[in-house]
Amino acid sequence: MQQKTITVVIDQNGNSSVDLEGFAGQGCDKVLKDFQGDDRARVQRKKAAFYTKTGDSRDQHLKSGQ
Amino acid sequence: MSAYGEFETIMCEERLLVEGLTAMGYRAEVHADGDALVGYHGDVRHEKAHVIIRRAQLDSASNDIGFARGADGRFRALLSEYDRSIGYNDQWLGKVHQHYKERQTLAVAKSKGYIFRGKEVIQTPNGPQIRLQFVAR
Repeated sequence: MQQKTITVVIDQNGNSSVDLEGFAGQGCDKVLKDFQGDDRARVQRKKAAFYTKTGDSRDQHLKSGQ
Repeated sequence: MSAYGEFETIMCEERLLVEGLTAMGYRAEVHADGDALVGYHGDVRHEKAHVIIRRAQLDSASNDIGFARGADGRFRALLSEYDRSIGYNDQWLGKVHQHYKERQTLAVAKSKGYIFRGKEVIQTPNGPQIRLQFVAR
């Protein structure tokens, strides 16, 4: 079973990126939300592994503010 | 990779802000109801802040630096033009946010049960980046 890893990179301005590996399905959303906390989302993207269970291979780009 | 997100850090937690400032070498005061900032002449200014770095810890001609909590719960920095000109500028505020976000990330990971795997500081032309790695149970 693939390990589920989370990599958080915090840049020099204090903004962060969160990279999830080994996750599939809706679990991704919860993990991203956990690490987002009070922060404002600038980019969120789901990749192929996310769609393994739904059969949809499209990438999804969301740019949103809170 | 199964998902990716980029987030703009919003400072809302007083404890983490104070811890971040402490890590940067400042002794920050906390005032639940806010306290007035003091100018370089010792003059009491009209601005109030909830987290304050007193000017004695800064340059001899500095004013206090404050972080005021807004109605939305977010802390915003109160900095004089002089202090911005001597280095307490956007780059310095970026470091404050970076220290805050590191602590916030570690605190969230701990509370949610993610396992910390390590920290790495990556030097880039724009400044150091902090890389934190976790695994999910």
